[in-house]
Amino acid sequence: MSNLEIGLASFPVLMGLIFLRVPIGLAMFVVAIGGLYAVTDGMAMGLSRLKHETYSTFSSYSLSIVPMFLLMGHFATLGGMSSALFRAAEAFLGHRKGGVAMASVGACAGFGAICGSSLATAATMSQVALPELRRYGYSGGFSTATLAAGGTLGILIPPSVILVIYAILTEQNIAKLFLSAFIPGILAAIGYMITIAIYVRLNPGAAGLREPIPYAERIRALLDVWPVLLVFLLVVGGIYLGWFTPTEGAAVGAAGTGLIALLNRGLTRHTLVQSFYATARNTAMIFFIVLGAALYNGFLALSQVPQELSQWVVGQGMSPWAILACILALYLVFGCLMDSLSMILLTIPIFFPIISELDFNLVSLAAMQAEAARDVLAAGVPEGMGAEMLEGIRAAIAGGAELTREQMDALGIRVTQVMANRIEAEEVAIWFGILVLIVVEVGLITPPVGMNLFVINSMDPKTRMIETYKAVLPFVASDIVRVTILVAFPGITLFLLRLLH
Amino acid sequence: MHKVFLALARFMAVIGGAVLTLLVLLTCVSVAGRVMNTALHGEWAQSLMPGLADRLIAMGVGPITGDFELVEAGVAFAIFAFIPLCQIGGGHASVDIFTSKMSRSTNRALQLVIDWIFAAVLILIAWQLFQGMLEKMRYNETTFMLQFPVWWSYAASLLAATVSALVGLYVAAARVVEIVSGRIILHGQEGADA
Repeated sequence: MSNLEIGLASFPVLMGLIFLRVPIGLAMFVVAIGGLYAVTDGMAMGLSRLKHETYSTFSSYSLSIVPMFLLMGHFATLGGMSSALFRAAEAFLGHRKGGVAMASVGACAGFGAICGSSLATAATMSQVALPELRRYGYSGGFSTATLAAGGTLGILIPPSVILVIYAILTEQNIAKLFLSAFIPGILAAIGYMITIAIYVRLNPGAAGLREPIPYAERIRALLDVWPVLLVFLLVVGGIYLGWFTPTEGAAVGAAGTGLIALLNRGLTRHTLVQSFYATARNTAMIFFIVLGAALYNGFLALSQVPQELSQWVVGQGMSPWAILACILALYLVFGCLMDSLSMILLTIPIFFPIISELDFNLVSLAAMQAEAARDVLAAGVPEGMGAEMLEGIRAAIAGGAELTREQMDALGIRVTQVMANRIEAEEVAIWFGILVLIVVEVGLITPPVGMNLFVINSMDPKTRMIETYKAVLPFVASDIVRVTILVAFPGITLFLLRLLH
Repeated sequence: MHKVFLALARFMAVIGGAVLTLLVLLTCVSVAGRVMNTALHGEWAQSLMPGLADRLIAMGVGPITGDFELVEAGVAFAIFAFIPLCQIGGGHASVDIFTSKMSRSTNRALQLVIDWIFAAVLILIAWQLFQGMLEKMRYNETTFMLQFPVWWSYAASLLAATVSALVGLYVAAARVVEIVSGRIILHGQEGADA
């Protein structure tokens, strides 16, 4: 067998092991070692990699952001912030039809801003919101489904562990990814609220109503959430403004939520130890998958599979949009079976080279040149520029044509195809990352194995799983609508990025 | 027996958590120092209180030298120290949608094989980490800023990796006892399967 064939043969073997319940990290590890053995005809290569690869993976400075964000999330659950957020959201939304459920989604969005994990967000908010939902007469399945969907905001709204992993895998800027995740995250929250509004009108029995409360009390409830806002602005703003690296931002955030928990008396010796346990379990799970994926991707690269595969796909001559749609659909299907992090680590090294080979025309050279030219002309026509030249430039801008080298020289600007390509590559990488983030998160709430569904359902023993399954489908539909919109209009995702860069 | 290993795994998790917390604090102090140092060098501080600003800088108000080297070494140890608890609690991510249709005894046999492979892999990791450490000792490699030998960090991680391998072996052995005696020793897995 050639190396390429060995690489291709590793997919079914890996999938077989995973479906036999072999932990995903372990499966990748074993297949990688076996694959390296087959490709290099001996154990030496695999073993010598292990000498330093485990340590260098675990000691990676950029990956150290992950345990720190996890610790931050666990401290956040201890700080009583979840109930403050819920009270504030409930004060403003609670009197509407389905308002308490909307408030749960709003509070989840707020909590997502200081927590990078979906499960932690879903579990924490459920403790606060589930009893309230029951008190106002919301049906069990609808309540659990709302919180399961709301929990995905934990990852969609930055900071987000998955985005960190994506950034490292594809060598993108974490700050820019966080920035771009913001609008899609807000859209997700709004989409869920609209879903709730429609749902309660179609199923009037699913929710009760309560009286509006006065504005003075609403403002007071809102003031209680200032620590959340402070930590969020400090962490995300600080990373974005370059005050500190993402890892330092995570450390500041962990210290901040720890301090809040301490001041609110949520942090005792017992809860501290419990949050260490939870951080330990999550961190170990994630890093074992990261290690397995690092080895497996190393083996794949050696067997040339990603390169050959991306060339083959591009060679098929399919429309880039069709390929993108296929990839996203594949994630939706896999999301029904696998957890989001494993999916990202397993697939991005294969899909990302394909996507970066495609041309989505997000950036047009003519438009970039026109913008630069307008900036120059707005400050006044440069001295010594002939009327004919000026006329030519104006005509090119108006007609959407590219400027000639002489025209650019006359303006004193230089916008080349290479620059446009570089920006296009970055925008595609960020846009694709956000789309993948959303579709893998849909996996958390799709039956039969959506993790969020399990977590929330286990917290509400009276509600049967099947009721949660039924009630979550409208939320899944809202996710799919949102993905479609974001695919069709890349400018929505890239709006903040383009505005600020 | 189970209590001993569970206590060991929990102990490692707490140590790892404590190290992680220390790294968080260290990083925060370093960030605060850097921000203050920049401010003290800035126009505002230099014009208003030049003497005080310079004295503070001389006292060492600034980022901690080589903080990221400590973070790297510490976080590697912490992650190795976190593995035992994940191992003993069956916390690794897996896909059980297909195996849930299989019979209970098939699942038990499957779990036995998986845990033995896992134990072997954890032993392999610890062993190769040891080999890697010997290499770093042989070449006397030191870190860039703080100039401490790299093998120190390897040694700390090796300690935790050895405990992981031991716990991995225990879990694998406990599966055998479970099958032979019919008792349930490891509870974590049952919950995760539900």
